This record gives sequence, structure tokens and C-alpha cells, in this order.
Amino acid sequence: MKITIEDLKNVSFFDDYTDDQLKIFIEISSIKEFKVKDVLFEQYDELKEIYVLLSGCLSLGISIANEKRIRLGTLEVGHLFSWSAVFSPYISTAWVIASCPTKVLAIDAKKLNDEFDKNCAFGFKTMSKIAQTISHRLSDTRFQLMNQLTI
Amino acid sequence: MPDNKNIYKPIRARLNDVIEESPSIKTFVLIPEDKFSFKTGQFIELSVDGIGEAPFTPSSSPLITEKLEVTVMKTGYVTEYMHMLKPGVFMGIRGPYGSGYPVETFFGKEVLILGGGCGLAPIRSLLYTLESIKEKLEKVILCYGSKTPSDCIYKPLFDRLNNTEKFEAYRTVDKADEEWNGAVGVATMLLNNIKINIKNSVAVVCGPPVMMKFGTIRLLEMGYRDDQIYLSMEKNMSCGLGKCGHCMMGEYFVCRDGPVFTYKEIKHNPEIWK
Repeated sequence: MKITIEDLKNVSFFDDYTDDQLKIFIEISSIKEFKVKDVLFEQYDELKEIYVLLSGCLSLGISIANEKRIRLGTLEVGHLFSWSAVFSPYISTAWVIASCPTKVLAIDAKKLNDEFDKNCAFGFKTMSKIAQTISHRLSDTRFQLMNQLTI
Repeated sequence: MPDNKNIYKPIRARLNDVIEESPSIKTFVLIPEDKFSFKTGQFIELSVDGIGEAPFTPSSSPLITEKLEVTVMKTGYVTEYMHMLKPGVFMGIRGPYGSGYPVETFFGKEVLILGGGCGLAPIRSLLYTLESIKEKLEKVILCYGSKTPSDCIYKPLFDRLNNTEKFEAYRTVDKADEEWNGAVGVATMLLNNIKINIKNSVAVVCGPPVMMKFGTIRLLEMGYRDDQIYLSMEKNMSCGLGKCGHCMMGEYFVCRDGPVFTYKEIKHNPEIWK
């Protein structure tokens, strides 16, 4: 399935990118589809792709010692996940499972890192967006923790 | 100030109905015996003879003066007793007190409301008010989080708002059950996906202190100025008159000068999130 620049312009993660920058994403990405209960990746999996949710619904969570899954939250359309794929040691910190039929943009993380080296402005913009995603996730986790501590 | 002359004397109000909103939250529908009106965001002292009184912000529309709805979470001695009350008994109302929401300053703007838990009670009253003046507003977005799906109060409100022109309502839960297929996560997560013109908007935050803190931080990150954020600081209010000092927060008495403040007014106070 082909994705176009116009398709990406409708996805919130790609706000602020130029057409040339969107072309880079298209060249190193593919669309992947998942059925209900499909596991996109498990906690501690080595990640090679960074994803942007295009449609559908995904749950994100962690597993505890007895393999019990704890759902921490859902992911919203237009948002990025599996950011561990661009940071060493490239190991996922959570699992992600489809809770309805889902379509994601899968970006090759190695090729994305190579593009960062070639095009620093593109790299800075993308890493800033990834950092913002991580910052929000961390803030939400603190909020969840405080909620638990104040019960 | 209250309409009645003796500021300590409550108005009698008959409990007309009790609506169970969640396992720990009930809405009390009261019919005051005397004329009673309030401005959205103002609070009242609701009393039970021989038991005590506690402060609550009405959850009903200020435009309806013949009845008053108060949503009460079971948290202590007085509220536990209230939860046992049946329709037909009489309760006492003092007030209204405080400043309420400055809705006139919302005209021509987009209004973002972030609520959590029982904080939806004062927000519902605000929403009724905003619905009545919607032609003067650009847009109203409600983002609300509850601990579980069963803890979510006023469930029909969300569908109604989503079917109302200029209104959008989103819900999330901290912990889902088997039947829940909506968003899971804290209320601030809902802010990631909304479309709002921050420069021409105001934000209202009401909920538990933890949510107020993280909600305000996220709003500031989004680009809201501290004078665009309204916080409903409903804490430790007792006399309602700025006399007893229970609700002192720096130079302010929350009951007299609030309970609604802009973040700019109170951000320097170390007690703000306690």
C-alpha cells in the first residue's frame, strides 16, 4: 500500500514538515496493518521500526514478573510510538497490542538515523518531536504514579 | 453574598431526588424553600441537621432557580451521612459564596475544560452556562478522566455534548474494564489530540490536586499563558465567609476570593497543589 505526501499532511505527527522532508519519510516507510489482538511488539523486543498510528486503536502497557499484562494507556491516532527504535540499546520499554483493526506507518529506524546524519535540520526537528513524545509519556506516567500514591 | 439577612442561617431545602452517579458519588436534587440563585463556579455550604455542613459547588444550571443539584462524593463523616439520606428529608443551604467563573471574559473564545473525578460537578454547571451562551463562544472542548469506567459521572452528558454544535467531549479512564473500548490513560493524555487555537482560548481545570497540577503543567507546555488558565481551588473551605482561615492560601481566602483563580494569581503560592 502506497502512502502519499497528502496522506502524511493529515497526520498530526507530520505537522510542520516540508514536502521534501515528508518525501524522506515516504522513502523509508511502509504501511502495516494489524488485526485485533495482534502484538506489534513485546516489552524487551529489539525494535527496528518507529511507528506512527494512522488509524485504529492500540493499547500500550508493561508486563510484570508473572507475564501478566498491565495496560497503561491507549495511543491516539497521529501519534508516534516505539521511539526506542532510534535510541541505543533499541529495546522496547513496553508492549503494544492492537485493540481494533489498525494501520500504522512503520519507519525504518536505521534508515531514519542515517537521514539524521545526512540532514541535520530534519534530524533536529524529528528528534525534538520524539523528545516531546517521550516527555509527555513521562509526565503522564508521573501523573499515574501520583494518582496511585494519593489514593 | 447570600440573599438571606443572617449569613449563618441556612435556607431550608427539601431533598427531592437522589441520583446515583457512581459507587461513591451521588447527586442530590434539592428544592429550596426560599429564593436561591448562584453564579456558575460559586459554592454553597450544604448541611444536615445535627450532623454538620460541607462546601460543594452546585452541578446544576444556574439558570434554573427552582431546584439545585449538588453532586457529593462520599469522603468523610458528613458526606457519608448524606449518602444515606432519602428523598423527602430537609437539608440546609448557605451561600452562594465566592467569585465563580468569569464567563463574560470567555466571549469570542475557545474554551478548553480539563476535568477529573468529581471535578466534573462544577464543570457540568459551567457547561450548562456555556451551552446557554454558545453563540458567543467559538468552541468548547471537554477532556475528562476518571479512575475507572464506573467512576465516570454524568455519562449521558458526553453524548449530549458531542451532539451539540460547537461542543466536543472526550473521556479517558485510568484503568479499563472488559467492556471499556475508549481511551485509557490520564486526563492530560486527551490534550495531545485536540485542535484548539491556544492564542484565542481559555482553559479551565477542575479535579483532584494531582490532576490540577499535571493538567496545568501540560497546558503551560501547550502554550497557554498563566492568565489564560482558570483553576477551581475547592479546598478546605469551611465558613464560606473568609473568617475561619481554614482555606487560607497565601494572601487569599479560597472561599471569599475564589474558589476560581487564574494560575497567574496563585502560582507563587507554595500551598497551591496541596
